[in-house]
Parts: sequence; C-alpha cells; structure tokens
Amino acid sequence: MGEIKSDKILIITTISNSYPGADAVGQSHLEYDPDTYIIRLPDPVLLPEDFYLKAYSKGIAGIIVMSSGSDCPYEGAYERLAQRVQKIYDKMKENGISISRLKLTTICTVCKAAFLKEIKGMRENIEKLKAVKDAS
Amino acid sequence: MTDKSAEQSRDFYRQDVKVGVYVCHCGGNISDIIDVEDVARDLSDYPGVSVSRNYIFMCSSTGQGLVEEDIRTKGINRVVIAACSPALHELTFRGTLERAGLNPYLYEHVNIREQGSWVHKSNKKAATEKSKKLIRAAVEKICRQNPLEAIRVNAARSIAVIGGGVAGMSAALSLGRQGFNVYLIEKENRLGGKLNSLWKAYPSEEDGEKTLEELEKDISSLNNINIYLESEVKKIDGYVGNFSVEIVKKGSPEKIKVGALVITTGYVHYIPFEGEYAYKTTKKVVTLPDFIEMLKDDEKNGSLKNVKSVAFIHCVGSRQNPSLDKPQKDEKVNDYCSRTCCTSALFRIKQLLEKYPDKKIFDFYRDIRTYGLQHESYYEELSKKGVLFFRYPEDTRPQVEVKGDKLEVKSKDILTWNEEVSVEVDMVVLLTGVMPADISVIVDDLKLPIGSDRFILEAHPKLRPVEVPNLGIYIGGTAQAPMDLLEAAYGGKAAASKASMLLSKGEISLDPFVASVNPELCDGCEKCIGECLYPGAIVMENGKAKVIPALCKGCGACAAVCHTRAINVAGYSLEQIDAMVEAISKE
Repeated sequence: MGEIKSDKILIITTISNSYPGADAVGQSHLEYDPDTYIIRLPDPVLLPEDFYLKAYSKGIAGIIVMSSGSDCPYEGAYERLAQRVQKIYDKMKENGISISRLKLTTICTVCKAAFLKEIKGMRENIEKLKAVKDAS
Repeated sequence: MTDKSAEQSRDFYRQDVKVGVYVCHCGGNISDIIDVEDVARDLSDYPGVSVSRNYIFMCSSTGQGLVEEDIRTKGINRVVIAACSPALHELTFRGTLERAGLNPYLYEHVNIREQGSWVHKSNKKAATEKSKKLIRAAVEKICRQNPLEAIRVNAARSIAVIGGGVAGMSAALSLGRQGFNVYLIEKENRLGGKLNSLWKAYPSEEDGEKTLEELEKDISSLNNINIYLESEVKKIDGYVGNFSVEIVKKGSPEKIKVGALVITTGYVHYIPFEGEYAYKTTKKVVTLPDFIEMLKDDEKNGSLKNVKSVAFIHCVGSRQNPSLDKPQKDEKVNDYCSRTCCTSALFRIKQLLEKYPDKKIFDFYRDIRTYGLQHESYYEELSKKGVLFFRYPEDTRPQVEVKGDKLEVKSKDILTWNEEVSVEVDMVVLLTGVMPADISVIVDDLKLPIGSDRFILEAHPKLRPVEVPNLGIYIGGTAQAPMDLLEAAYGGKAAASKASMLLSKGEISLDPFVASVNPELCDGCEKCIGECLYPGAIVMENGKAKVIPALCKGCGACAAVCHTRAINVAGYSLEQIDAMVEAISKE
C-alpha cells in the first residue's frame, strides 16, 4: 500500500479560503507543478480517515490539506480536522505509507507564497521517497 | 453490446444522465495554453457525456445559449463548464441552467484558467492533460448529483458604510434613498474626508466646500442615514446578512448589526522624508496639498504674490524605485502611480497663472498622465502659456538645493537628450502621491485581500470591481486605488448598488450545501450528533438521525464519522469525492 504509483498530488481546498488562495496564485500567473489536482470542499473536516487511505491505494502520491486554519468559518472544525489528521498519520504508519505524503496546512485567500511552498515541499517529499525506493 | 455500453449499463448513475461538457477558450486566456479542442474531443467519448463542445467565450450570451439549446433540444440534464474560476461565473451558469428549465445545481464548474492555463504556461501538454482529468472528475461528480434547492436566510436591511469621504457619502446617500437603514461611520468630526481640503476641483472648478455642503444637506434630509462622527470601528465579526460592528463613538462603545458592509476608508497623502527634495530643510519646499492651501489663502491674502518662480516635481512618493527611494515602514516603496497628481498639478498651475500670468513655472515630470476627459488640455494650454516642461529619466531624480534665498533644481532632461538643466526658483512644489489609510483592524477582522500597493484588492478588476471574495463586503473610492473625486463618488455608488442588490429582498439566497441523512442507511449510532459543531443541527427521530437545515452550516464534520455513509453534505457527498479522486487517479 505504501508504494508510490504516480506523481499526482491531490490538493484539498476550502471554498472560503484556500481555493481563492489558489485562484490568487493564478491571477498572479505564478507557475507550479501541473501534476496537481485541486478539489474544492466546504471544509476538509468532512473527509473520513479511509478517504485518504483509499486515495493512496488508487495511486495518489501525496495529499496536501489546505485548511482555513484560524480563519475557518466553521468554529471548531479545524481542531477536529487536526485531530483526524493525527489519526490518519497513525493509520498511514500501520499501512506502511510514509506520513510525509500527507500535509495539513493553512492557506488563506492571499497566501500565494505559502501555496507554492507547500506544493514544492510535497513534490520534494515524493521525490525523496521515490529515490529511497530506487536505491533499495 | 459493446464493452463501453456494457460498462454504462452497469453504472447506476448514468442510466438517465446526459452530461453536457463545455470548454471555454476565454478569448485566448485558456486556449493559448490548453488545447481546448483536444480536451472537448477527449471528453466526448467519456461515459455519461452526450455533448462536448468548446467555444471562445462560454460566459457570453452566445456561449450560454449553446448550453440552453442543448438542454432544451438534446435533453442534457447535467452540465460541466470548464472555464475561469467559479468565483467569477458559477452564478452565471446556474442562471443559464435555470433559464433552460434545469435545476441550477446540476452543474459543476472546472477551473482551467486560474488553476490551469495561468499557472502552467510553460507546459502546455501537461496543462491540457490535467484539464482532461479535472473535467472527467467533474463529470463523475455531477453524475452523482441530485437536484437541490437554495436555502433562504433573513438578512438585515441595514448597511454600515465605513468612511465618510465622498465615496462613503455617495454610497450612503444612494442606499438611504433606496430605503436602507445606513450607518455612516467617519473618524473625523465632519463628513467629507479630503473634500474638506480640496478647494476647487478639476475639471468643473466647482468648490469642494459647496459640493460637500450639498451632500451633507442631502444626507441629513434622510432619517434612515445614521451619522457617526469621531467614530472608529474597533471590531467586526459575523457573516453576510448578519455582521456585527463594534464602534467607538466619541469614546463610547456601541454595537450595530448590519447585513452588508461598504468600505470607503480613503487615502492619506504621502509625506516626504526629511531631506527628500530638501523637504523640511526649508519652508520653500512644499507638498501639493500644502500648495492647494496656499492657493486658497492667496485668494484672500495674496500670499503668493511675491513668489516669482515655482518648480513642480512629479512622482514624489509614487512610481518609486527601491534603489533610489526610501521605503515605508513595511520596507516597500510606493511603486504604483498615484494617477491623479499630474492632472491636479496642471490644474493648480493653471489657477496660479490665471491670477499671476508672469510667474515662471518649471515642471519636472517622468510622464504626463492626464488620463481623464479634457485633462490633456491643461498640459496643452500651459505649454502655450510658457510653462517649461522637463522630462527626467526614470533612473534619476531631480535634485533640490537651498541657495541663499533661492532653491536650485537640477535634473537631466530626456527631451534635450539628457542635457543637465538647472533652474533657480522661489518655491518647489512636490507632487506627492497617495497611500491607503491605515485600516488594519478592518483588514484583519474581515481578512480582506490587500494588493502589493497596500490598497484593498477587488475580486476582479473588470467583472467584480467593487467586491472582495467575502460575500456581503463591498469596496469603493480610494480605499481601493488612487482615483479622483468623480471616480471615488462613482465607486461608492457602485458599491452601494451591489449591497442593495444583495439585501433588497430582506433575505439572501444561500447555497443549499448542508448535511442530509439517508434514513435507509442510518443505523442510529448518534456519532454524527457527537461530532456536530452546531448544537441542535442534528437530532434523532424514530431512531434515525435528522438534520435541521436552518441550523446546519454544511461543514461536514458529521459525514466524516458516519460509518454507513448515511449522512452527507449536499453537493459534496463522499461518494462524489471518491469518484472524483478515482477519475483523477486513472492514467
């Protein structure tokens, strides 16, 4: 299950913050890795733990959860999400999936640099994992 | 039966689903990078898709007409539009579906511009392949979408206009005349903002004081405009239809509830640093606002009578260069054009020469940007009257030195092939630019987007020029960008129009994306109730969970803990999201 089958990065965004943040990156014509796929949700808190494991088994290499953090319009949702991600990390370890393939972060409507940095960071994580596998 | 039709017949969702896929060129914004014909061709074979087209502007009436026609004549009952951001046109296309008699929520928007062509310019092939995957994912999602009905929420028919300058006054007046309850909040002890010190305004030469008095009279004639002078906003929270604004009025706190906010907080003048063009080292170097005060005073006292020669220097505090100019506190220089200073300066020179035709005027500029109607005529008129214009290069600045009773201005002049020119004058006027007023409390509380120039950034300069991404918040006047009096007034009125459209019905139509329970799948475990962030939003009824839509905010925390997947957020069911990921994963 821990095998990396593709280079695809799934980006979970929020309607209120990180999706407009991704738009802001586009409006500034800042380029990033094209093998990235943005999904727009009210809040990532709605995704159950098994969603992530299924996504990895389907071939997604990395997942970046771009939450609204303290700007979340749903009070308490971010804390729930953070707790859930911790449980997902545990399950990833149980299933031999590197936890560096999942990142929970906060992206606001204008966090262009942070948005780009997270994608770059996840790509680097994936490349490192692939390099380790190739070496072994 | 072919393999494809056999696969389709096993697919429950596609039994009676006919998806129309429409790929927009956005002029060339998308199609210059993404091969839209290839994308549309690829999708035409995708299961569930009946029609797949590409068109130059899907948002145009012709583009929308294509969708309507397909719904009416080809029985399309699900629509996927691949175009710009849904922030711009989601509502447009919902309207398209509605006009054609289809439920507006049977539509999915794919962003292949802001999150496609604009961010993958150097990899056209990858951008094209990515678009195909995202559209396939959208098709999978919309195949699993049921019709939805919008949720209606009550909204206060009251609006806070923050900033009582000409934009704010225009907005308040417009809203007041439409019968809204308006709170006009101004930090100074009189409305008008910079209009108070503008004196005569170009191009009409109307007296600012007179204009202000007329506006004040009109506003005070309306009982539904509540004026808060010497008041500042201390905190704002809430959401569209229900904002709470804490105001401190003359030291006393007060809280108001409003349905929308209009932000017209205006600008401040750039203040040169000590020594910048000899500013503050001599009283003979003044800023443009100082000079306007002098002109005003001269009408009564003739105070400029003895000033024989004046040099004007453009772009002071505007169009700055980090290697030549001193930055502000945030370490940034003002690299933007303040837009109005050129015309304003020429207009003031004209006023001066009308009274004192013999004065020697030297104008040091980088570019003359007289963008308004008839504004260029000031430049032409002054050229004929003998004003000497010198164009200094971008990478230099004119130098000002005190020479006894005089001031010496030295500069290169592009018009004479970079010849060094030097003039001695009695006075130097620095044509200072503008900067946005400090509204950090409002910006922080509302998370307003701020541009690199520190002004509030609109959602879209052409399509949503007085909106920000946050629903129910509108911007107008010089809080948004440097602009002249008329533009500020128009901006305020435009913001007022948007706010009135939002609140005119007394209720706001919100997306119906709240949780709902499939009772057939619910086993009554009550985990959803324990996870719900909004007390009372989920109740038990006959051993099954039930969502109260008015209390549910649609976060979906409940859906994540439902082991039978009985509870889902409408429009974002886990089944839909799983199907999207499946489509993205496929090679």
